[in-house]
Amino acid sequence: MPRSIWNGTITFGLIAVPIKVHSATEDKSVHFHQVHAADGARIKQKRICSKEDREVPYKEVAKGYEVGEGEYVMLSQDEIDAAAGERSREIALEEFVCAEEIDPVFNDRTYYLGVGEDGEDAYRLLHDALGRSSRAGIGRWVFHNREYLVAVRSLDGVLVLHTMRFADELVDPGSLEVPEPSRAPGKREIEMAAQLVDSLHGSFDPGAFEDNHREQLLELIERKAKGEEISVPAREQAEPTDDLMAALEASLARR
Amino acid sequence: VTVARSLWTGSLSFGLVNVPVVMVTAVRDLDLHFRQLHEKDGAPIEVRRFCSKEDVEVPWSEITHSYELPEGDEVLISDEELEAVSPERTRTVEIEQFVDLAEVDPIYFDHPYFLLPASEDDGATRAYRLLAEVMAQTDRAALGRFVMRAKEYLALVRPRAGVLTLTTMRFADEVRPTKDVDAAGQKSHKPTKKQLDAAVAVIEELSTEWDPESYTDRYRERLQDVVERKRKGRTVKAPKPAEPPEVAPDLMDALERTLAEMGSANQ
Repeated sequence: MPRSIWNGTITFGLIAVPIKVHSATEDKSVHFHQVHAADGARIKQKRICSKEDREVPYKEVAKGYEVGEGEYVMLSQDEIDAAAGERSREIALEEFVCAEEIDPVFNDRTYYLGVGEDGEDAYRLLHDALGRSSRAGIGRWVFHNREYLVAVRSLDGVLVLHTMRFADELVDPGSLEVPEPSRAPGKREIEMAAQLVDSLHGSFDPGAFEDNHREQLLELIERKAKGEEISVPAREQAEPTDDLMAALEASLARR
Repeated sequence: VTVARSLWTGSLSFGLVNVPVVMVTAVRDLDLHFRQLHEKDGAPIEVRRFCSKEDVEVPWSEITHSYELPEGDEVLISDEELEAVSPERTRTVEIEQFVDLAEVDPIYFDHPYFLLPASEDDGATRAYRLLAEVMAQTDRAALGRFVMRAKEYLALVRPRAGVLTLTTMRFADEVRPTKDVDAAGQKSHKPTKKQLDAAVAVIEELSTEWDPESYTDRYRERLQDVVERKRKGRTVKAPKPAEPPEVAPDLMDALERTLAEMGSANQ
């Protein structure tokens, strides 16, 4: 496990659980550099003062919040950091909710919690109690000078912490204008679609889905490196289905 | 109604049924954004791109990507060539499997989007409605893969209030194994039955319905307040870090005191 990114204490009631926070996920994307197409040289970003039209060193940069057209309130990093509140090393679980009730649309990032110094018994106790009650503890976490809403639950023998989105950050699906068909799908169509869903139903096995793209991308890069020409396919758009019934019948017949 | 910008256009395919869709974000960015300013004169800073060899400004149209090989050589790759890797998945989310949503651990969830019908065409909107309805009725979610901005995503599609939501998911190899976490798994740390019962009692006592609306982003509120105070010419000071809580030497004692406090608070 890579080193922890935060150390602190989870509390519930008068019980304190020392913990270490680790990232639960890692980014495996292929990364590229920006280059100038003409000579292949790397692109360098420069900070230019829009008034003086000259480069500005980082130490002369301040942050501004726009309060009117072109009118800024200038703030130092210390003043921005003040918004983090008291920079607590404690995550107090003040409420517990049924873990299954939380729609995963609220889940943002996930972290694993490792046990902190002398916290073994308390860690195990919180883990087992959350597992037995199927609940998640809700609290606030100050990390990198920002306060997050978090949910702590047990998973496969470890405590996990999710940072959560706030309700007002999620777009309400009811506020969207979705174009509707002139007549709703018929009973027969729904039955056939349900059969198709059933025939494709299985249990969730995350390992069954591989990111083939990453490998194919690296292969393509290798071909390009050997001087091979890469043919660019024409963009083809799949035809929208006209005859829904016929498409459903043909899909079922294929299986 | 604000019309969100479409981030991806393509089709959602289900057997031989194709639904042309556009993807829009389901998350609203409510963060306060700061602009970089030149401290001396308060003028906004512009970030401009320069060629590191010629030291001249380079317009976007003349910028391409390069990949650094392990030996240090660089290979130039254009956006079009990147699309050649997987042209189909760049344009289509093909449903490969349906699963029960409860089986998918939230650890895999990344970013939520909405899929909306790309046209008002009757065939397209009916196919969209059919898929949303049948998934709602069977309480199932669909899994597929697609490519966006030269990265492949595993995606989970499900209806929410009649609208198809697509959530990008992490691939299994992007989630670290839990067995590498030091989680005090040894038998000696197992709580006694009495301790566990007491801890569950504390949790039950503090239990409530999940009501996401009841939590506000206090960081955002404080930051707005900081900006407001500063605007009025007041000074802003950072609060001192708080002391960490002590670890109770006796767990059972801490549990009993917690329950006793809760008991007296409830009377």
